[in-house]
Amino acid sequence: DQTIFVTGECGGTSGNSGHIMSGASCKANGAVYPASSAMMNSVKKPKMEQIQADHELFLQAFEKPTQIYRFLRTRNLIAPIFLHRTLTFMSHRNGRSNAKRYGMSDMFLFVTGFFFVALSSHLQLTFTGFFHKDEKPSQNSENEQNSVSLEVLLVKVCHKKRKDVSCPVKQVPTGKKQVPLNPDSNQTKPGSYPSLLVSSNEFEPSNSHMVKSYSLLFRVSRTGRRDTNGLVNGEANENIDVTDTPSRKKRSLSHREEGETTETYVAQMTVFDKNRRLQLLDGEYEVSMQGMEDSPVSKKRATWETILDGKRLPPFETFSQGPTLQFTLRWTGDASGKSTAPVAKPLATRNSDSSMQQQKKGTVKESVSTDIQTRKEQVPCEPRQKLRIFYQFLYNNNTRQQTEARDDLHCPWCTLNCSKLYSLLKHLKLSHSRFIFNYVPHPKGARIDVSINECYDGSYVGNPQDIHSQPGFAFSRNGPVKRTAVTHILVCRPKRTKPSLSEFLESDDGELEQQRTYVSGHNRLYFHSDSCMPLRPQEMEVDSEDERDPEWLREKTATQLDEFTDVNEGEKEVMKLWNLHVMKHGFIADNQMNQAIMLFVENRGAHIIRRNLCRNFLLHLVSMHDFNLVSTATIDRAMARLRQIQEELPDIEEDQQDQTLVSAAACNGNAVTSSGGKQGKRTKSALTD
Amino acid sequence: VVADAEKLKQTEKCCTSMFNTNRQKIMERTDILNQEWKTRRIQPVHIMTSVSSLRGTREVIPLKTLNAVASVPVMYSWSPLQQNFMVEDETVLHNIPYMGDEILDQDGTFIEELIKNYDGKVHGDRGETLSRTNSDASKKFPSDKIFEAISSMFPDKGSTEELKEKYKELTEQQLPGALPPECTPNIDGPNARSVQREQSLHSFHTLFCRRCFKYDCFLHPFHATPNTYKRKNLENLVDSKPCGIDCYMEYPAGVVAERAKTPSKRTVGRRRGRLPNSNSRPSTPTVSSETKDTDSDREGNSMFAEGNSRCQTPVKMKLSGEAEAADWSGAEASLFRVLIGTYYDNYCAIARLIGTKSCRQVYEFRVKESSIIARAPTEDEDTPPRKKKRKHRLWATHCRKIQLKKDGSSNHVYNYQPCDHPRQPCDSSCPCVTAQNFCEKFCQCSSECQNRFPGCRCKAQCNTKQCPCYLAVRECDPDLCLTCGAADHWDSKNVSCKNCSIQRGAKKHLLLAPSDVAGWGIFIKEPVQKNEFISEYCGEIISQDEADRRGKVYDKYMCSFLFNLNNDFVVDATRKGNKIRFANHSVNPNCYAKVMMVNGDHRIGIFAKRAIQTGEELFFDYRYSQADALKYVGIEREMEIA
Repeated sequence: DQTIFVTGECGGTSGNSGHIMSGASCKANGAVYPASSAMMNSVKKPKMEQIQADHELFLQAFEKPTQIYRFLRTRNLIAPIFLHRTLTFMSHRNGRSNAKRYGMSDMFLFVTGFFFVALSSHLQLTFTGFFHKDEKPSQNSENEQNSVSLEVLLVKVCHKKRKDVSCPVKQVPTGKKQVPLNPDSNQTKPGSYPSLLVSSNEFEPSNSHMVKSYSLLFRVSRTGRRDTNGLVNGEANENIDVTDTPSRKKRSLSHREEGETTETYVAQMTVFDKNRRLQLLDGEYEVSMQGMEDSPVSKKRATWETILDGKRLPPFETFSQGPTLQFTLRWTGDASGKSTAPVAKPLATRNSDSSMQQQKKGTVKESVSTDIQTRKEQVPCEPRQKLRIFYQFLYNNNTRQQTEARDDLHCPWCTLNCSKLYSLLKHLKLSHSRFIFNYVPHPKGARIDVSINECYDGSYVGNPQDIHSQPGFAFSRNGPVKRTAVTHILVCRPKRTKPSLSEFLESDDGELEQQRTYVSGHNRLYFHSDSCMPLRPQEMEVDSEDERDPEWLREKTATQLDEFTDVNEGEKEVMKLWNLHVMKHGFIADNQMNQAIMLFVENRGAHIIRRNLCRNFLLHLVSMHDFNLVSTATIDRAMARLRQIQEELPDIEEDQQDQTLVSAAACNGNAVTSSGGKQGKRTKSALTD
Repeated sequence: VVADAEKLKQTEKCCTSMFNTNRQKIMERTDILNQEWKTRRIQPVHIMTSVSSLRGTREVIPLKTLNAVASVPVMYSWSPLQQNFMVEDETVLHNIPYMGDEILDQDGTFIEELIKNYDGKVHGDRGETLSRTNSDASKKFPSDKIFEAISSMFPDKGSTEELKEKYKELTEQQLPGALPPECTPNIDGPNARSVQREQSLHSFHTLFCRRCFKYDCFLHPFHATPNTYKRKNLENLVDSKPCGIDCYMEYPAGVVAERAKTPSKRTVGRRRGRLPNSNSRPSTPTVSSETKDTDSDREGNSMFAEGNSRCQTPVKMKLSGEAEAADWSGAEASLFRVLIGTYYDNYCAIARLIGTKSCRQVYEFRVKESSIIARAPTEDEDTPPRKKKRKHRLWATHCRKIQLKKDGSSNHVYNYQPCDHPRQPCDSSCPCVTAQNFCEKFCQCSSECQNRFPGCRCKAQCNTKQCPCYLAVRECDPDLCLTCGAADHWDSKNVSCKNCSIQRGAKKHLLLAPSDVAGWGIFIKEPVQKNEFISEYCGEIISQDEADRRGKVYDKYMCSFLFNLNNDFVVDATRKGNKIRFANHSVNPNCYAKVMMVNGDHRIGIFAKRAIQTGEELFFDYRYSQADALKYVGIEREMEIA
């Protein structure tokens, strides 16, 4: 869906080359994006039906850059070019420079320190219910239970000992509970939910084996009519850490009896991964369960995709369709105490698609169905100060707009948590320069006007070394050769103004502030303009292609004069000599002519004498005088100098007397034959109008 | 038919020989290049060690990997230029553009329309060659019927008369060594004849371009002849001292007599403007009479006879015996007539320049020729020397005029053509005035003309609107602006005047590389300041009509180098140009284009819109490429006044 217009020749008449994107990102973009854009469209469907035309325009304006930034986000996750915390305006993301090491919002830093805190805490699980939507409760109410039985096991994967073939796995049953099936959230009282406590002792290192990772295994058994659909769900919740669980030997059995079946659904969640990082924070969770009897998914075949009837489903569809288990997780110091762990918040590196979706869906309050995890987690978030940010998209000549809002300071394009409004704005401005962001203060928070940057400069600003190479001379050097100088910036301390939100306000003068690169220099391979051959470093200094009188032009002036049929050879020859002289020196002023004549005599005098053109040269001088360009004094001086040169030429001097006859004949003869071949077509008389 | 076949064979032969000579030329050049390459220290490095398989052991060979080389963008060939080059309209489509089979298939009408633009004429149609070979066919002059038949068959090749002329031209060329009849023989050659001054100088006068200082220049199709140029000052007309013992001044009687005579004649001579000269000018219609004249010269090669036949006053002064001994060759006589028109009575100087005659001989010859030679003009009575005060006033009125002129509602900028209307002031009938151009130093009008631009008298850099030149979007004229430095330091780039960069070609070093945007791009080597001159946008100068025709093809290619110069002409850098042609378009550019009047020519300067750093790619906004700068001066000025 991305077509990149890198046209063959330079710019030409095309008027829009200004915002042609840089080649690299576009090409990659074209390859990556079809899948995700399709997904975006499916999510946006209801809106398109309402105001389709408007939406078309919106997409037209914002789709392409958004896709580019989404691609770049993914690429930066896989292979980061820089760390955001090293940026000055993101310095608060850098934990190390800060004394409050554990109070950081930076997830990873936090988690490393958390393990020790967690040791003294108990894990409390409160189950809200088991949801399985494809059954209709009203029809089967007489022989259906209202609850299912849930067994929770703590799976400890231990380090291998020498004898072991595979990692020893210990399963510690923590309890069995009856969990309500498809409860109506309005009816059930909050306090009546079944609850389970996993003691902190369980997480302490056991004596016999070093435990590598802990995970919770949920097993729901349900008796009833067999699910004829054979619904298969892949592991949907991203918290189910497939790769980190070394071996999952568990096979849940399905007990088949004649009229009745027992269905078993399982799900596994990692509490601590093998790096001992805590994976489960306080919050409400909804886990997608898997019917085990149909398709035991082995670790090898595990994929991240969700499959429903062969069709691709966005990950969150699973939650509305498949069986899920909802529970609240808390780490408590005592059995009934308060939470000691900080609240889990959406990670910048996770759930990126969900935040993207959410942003596209409209206001957060309306998006009930999809992103449960995010929504639920906001409940414990409540005491934090809430800042609402409205994104107002301007497109179609600023006449139409579409307002969207979200409640956190994540960048909508790359889901980076910027934590501060200033950082967010700065990040948007610097990292997403295909858009123009203008900050407008708003009573509830902030409004950010987003429009397309028509002046986007897609030129290359990266490291010159990455694109710099010198083909063509690899094997043709012998000894040292000159290298191209390349500029590197070691330290750059530009003058920084104090951070202030006012710098994002729309400027009145309309003068677009330019962000120029700090690195300048010849960061590319140049070519000769005549031959398209690479320019070698030693050829850089001289401009080899800017002659005032290129060879073809010198030849052209000669042939053009030769074409005249009514100009004799002597005249032609003097004219050619003079033309070449003028072309070489580029005279521009009348008052240069006296000088020019003298220079001509100096340079070409000997030639004029040898070719016996003295009188023609004199005619030329007189003609110049007739045009008021030279004085008679110059004529005198020039001819005197010519005589002098003539006397200095030894061989001509000897036959001074009959030179007129001999050499003139030679000259004439030559000229005649040469002009005879040329068959001139022009006459000078035709030139005067 | 047999003759035709023969002719065809001949042309074929001609083609082969042409090809061979060309081939040889290329080979020679390659040899030179190879020689040069050998002398360089760069030599191929051996990458493979020889493998000896005698012992049957496996040898290790160093392996060198050739990295893939990225291909460069497409470039169509073009010829480098540093100054514009005017070309005529093409009446024939040179080639049918090829843009890939798909385009031709889906849009066949495009080519048809294109050919229609040229009245269906495509280069290489067989018509022309046929008519040529036919007309050459027989040795005898063919009857008129043949010409009529050809003309009726190929009406586009000209009328019957034209074909006849062409026939004559083509057949007569075949005589070896013969000069065309209208050609003046070489004055340095053995066949030099005694001819009139105007004829001797005719080639130089007609071919010389007073604006480019070149003969048959590339830019100006029509050159003014110098006939009506007035002499600026009367330079050393007569040496006061005799040049030697043989000097004519040693004959006081004669001198006195001559001197007494001259003043009365002087008033008649040159004052009449062009009229006497244009009579004697051998333009095409008068050629026949002239040639007759010179034919008679050829027969009587003796100068005395010629002189006698021509002068009404035969030898009246027999001075001494040595004078008769002097034999005047045709070349000498011609040269004398040329020089007498410049040096008048300064026989010593004339003799010095002729070199082979003493001034006394010259003097005697002059006496013989007295009736036909031109007279030295007296001081120009109608153009008294300027007074300082008057100049001041003039300058002030001009500055006002600049504004008035540009305030006019007209948005059009017309090409400048020197005006030539003798004895008529530059009023509303003057072409310069009607085109809203200033008269330039190339105009034939008086230097006091009210429409002339007076130049600036700045002592600063001429880069603000304080400078009248800058204000009028003109570069400083080195012959008018004498204080700003535009006329100094010809050799160095350090000129105090910053408003003469285009004419001096003070361009920046540009480098070519694949663009960050599209195709090729151009990059600057050194950093430049805001408003600094970067390069002139050069190319072929074509008429607006021609630009329309070419533009159709360029639009199809989606690549155009057309640049509007003024209402009459367009610069096309497709075939000829300089490196700045690779600058891409941007709506947010770092350069801007400005059409300026540079010594009578409109030229396009590319300037820095902001400070540009080393290695930056250059862009300018193609949309404002019109003569906008010239147009909007008036508006800005109005606001300032208000």
